[in-house]
Amino acid sequence: MFVHTRSYEDLMSPEDGDVVSRSPEEGRGDQGDQTSMEQISKDFSELSTQLTGMALDLEEEMRPSQEDKMDLSLQTARRDSARSEKEDEDVTMEAWRMHQKHVFVLSEAGKPVYSRYGSEEALSSTMGVMMALVSFLEAEKNAIRSIHADGYKVVFVRRSPLVLVAMARTRQSEQEITHELLYIYYQILSLLTWTQLNHIFQQKQNYDLRRLLAGSERITDNLLDLMARDPSFLMGAARCLPMTAGLRDTVSTCLQQAKAKSLVFSILLSRNQLVSLVRKKDQFLHPIDLHLLFNLISSSSSFREGEAWTPICLPKFNSSGFFHAHISYLEQDMDLCLLLVSTNREDFFTVSDCKRRFQERLRKRGVSHALQEALRTPFYSVSQVGIPDLRHFIYKSKSSGLFTSPEIEAPMSSEEEKQRLLELYQYLHSRAHNSSRPLKNIYFTGPSENLLAWVTSAFELYVCYSPLGTKAAAVSAVNKLMKWIRREEDRLFILTPQTY
Amino acid sequence: MSGRAGSAAPAQNGGPAAAPERSPSLTQGYDLACKVMLLGDSGVGKTCFLLQFKDGAFLSGTFIATVGIDFRNKVVTVDGVKVKLQIWDTAGQERFRSVTHAYYRDAQALLLFYDITSKISFDNIRAWLTEIHEYAQKDVVIMLLGNKADVSSGRVIKMEDGESLAREYGVPFMETSAKTGMNVELAFLAIAKELKQRAVQQPDEPRFQIQEYIESQKKKSSCCSFM
Repeated sequence: MFVHTRSYEDLMSPEDGDVVSRSPEEGRGDQGDQTSMEQISKDFSELSTQLTGMALDLEEEMRPSQEDKMDLSLQTARRDSARSEKEDEDVTMEAWRMHQKHVFVLSEAGKPVYSRYGSEEALSSTMGVMMALVSFLEAEKNAIRSIHADGYKVVFVRRSPLVLVAMARTRQSEQEITHELLYIYYQILSLLTWTQLNHIFQQKQNYDLRRLLAGSERITDNLLDLMARDPSFLMGAARCLPMTAGLRDTVSTCLQQAKAKSLVFSILLSRNQLVSLVRKKDQFLHPIDLHLLFNLISSSSSFREGEAWTPICLPKFNSSGFFHAHISYLEQDMDLCLLLVSTNREDFFTVSDCKRRFQERLRKRGVSHALQEALRTPFYSVSQVGIPDLRHFIYKSKSSGLFTSPEIEAPMSSEEEKQRLLELYQYLHSRAHNSSRPLKNIYFTGPSENLLAWVTSAFELYVCYSPLGTKAAAVSAVNKLMKWIRREEDRLFILTPQTY
Repeated sequence: MSGRAGSAAPAQNGGPAAAPERSPSLTQGYDLACKVMLLGDSGVGKTCFLLQFKDGAFLSGTFIATVGIDFRNKVVTVDGVKVKLQIWDTAGQERFRSVTHAYYRDAQALLLFYDITSKISFDNIRAWLTEIHEYAQKDVVIMLLGNKADVSSGRVIKMEDGESLAREYGVPFMETSAKTGMNVELAFLAIAKELKQRAVQQPDEPRFQIQEYIESQKKKSSCCSFM
């Protein structure tokens, strides 16, 4: 369905991919294969202690900053008021420093483009320092990748004419933070195209890019929030809404028949889960591009009514041009969003008619009710698998670019526990994909859970068990789990991708 | 082919915008369809204005920037004629200009907004009018609206400033409030009346004077300050 890709590696450009500098911390893992399990175990216990301290920090984060809002210029006052809370945040306050992850985007002239927290104006001198660091090393024909100090990782990504910097206190590897920064870069490209971005800075090196990005801060903010809680980005894959194969096929056929000349992709989704995707023959949608589309839709409630028509660049598909996306919800109270991607800016009415035809076909085939039913159960319970010790898993099929995972249930259903589980998966993922020492199998026994990771050329599997089981039981459970997935795959995945 | 699909034809051919389109009331639920575009800087209240007109609700609190353009329909009845307004709500941001330009020439009416609490948005009106003259149809109906008239403390643009600018360009003008609903319906009704008149005008009938109509109907912000 998607382009066959090893998306994680793909994200790493050649210049970054060859060597990933190892931090002193990670250097400890270098003692040979036989000790790697012990190492993981040690890292995990550190992770657990680190995580217990998190609730406190979060509380601090929540506390509103008590600063005076009088000196807002007229222009800032007119900016996106939803962001004003963030914008107003005093960057000299401790609370600002305590954020888990800061993200900054600046131009090569050192001008601020985006900051996740606090106003860009207030941070212009900080960004100046960042640019100075980058330039200083470049003068020596070298490049700065990261700084590791005091529990922080400062990661730099250079994509001329932009510089992206993350400052994280999370346990993510440098590689994963780089991966997230590249998503931010692609997000900016999706708004402007690479061609336009370069053209602007060729014309005027000290251009204030915020002018063109005005109103998009919310989309970038949403992407960062989404990456912190949705495993799709970590997996580089999309999740499908579970439904019977028959229902999905009917919906896909309806979608496929409502075509137009200029349409490249027709996508039906529900809350970041894919229902159906139809594409033009020989055209593939990269998971990163799909994620950017998902993010765009989830970041604004303005699509709920009416029909939106907006230019969007899909940077992995073609970073030099815009597509035009028709975005609408099928029914107001139904979480079903239709996204029609067209090549022609002038084709609004034609594409709008495709939507009408699609809805008409759905009605004729009488699947609306079944579809509604499927929407009501967007997740399945892990108990369906029938393995008592199994708590949660993520299974990614590499060839389709799709993954599946059950609902996160007790005892991990609180927000903090969900976050912790994702961080555990992130950790396993980073160990498995460490570019200098990749691992195929990882098993870890921890105080609150046992985990297993298994990476092959066809799939990736990450499993979380209760802490009471044994390794042997976990391994045999994997076989049972794989059989279950095989049996359910026509419900959990899109097996027969459609083309127009 | 439906009425809406039919009206797409001029857009595809790049030809001139058709006169308001007439269609049989029985099959479509309206007698006349016309395209109205909302224009103006980001944050002047275009979407809120439309929501107030469509649903009678005001979206307070968070500001949600429109992405690209947003298309909605509403049928209004003027003098017994059902007029379907196809309303294009546009994003005010610079990066969406190219898309909005592409749809200017299909529009029969343009509502051009500034925010009475923002000098920049008022100063940009001239630039907007230049763009309109470049891309829109010559006979397009333009109406200048000073929104957020309910805000008394933050006002920086006097009503007279709006009036004199409107006079200079020969367009009707009024102050509005998406929050209280002041003059919101009137703006759309006046447009619908004007376009209906154009479509069904008899040669001997006197021309509908949109300017006079809104002058006689509009409310001044002073009388709404209690709302």
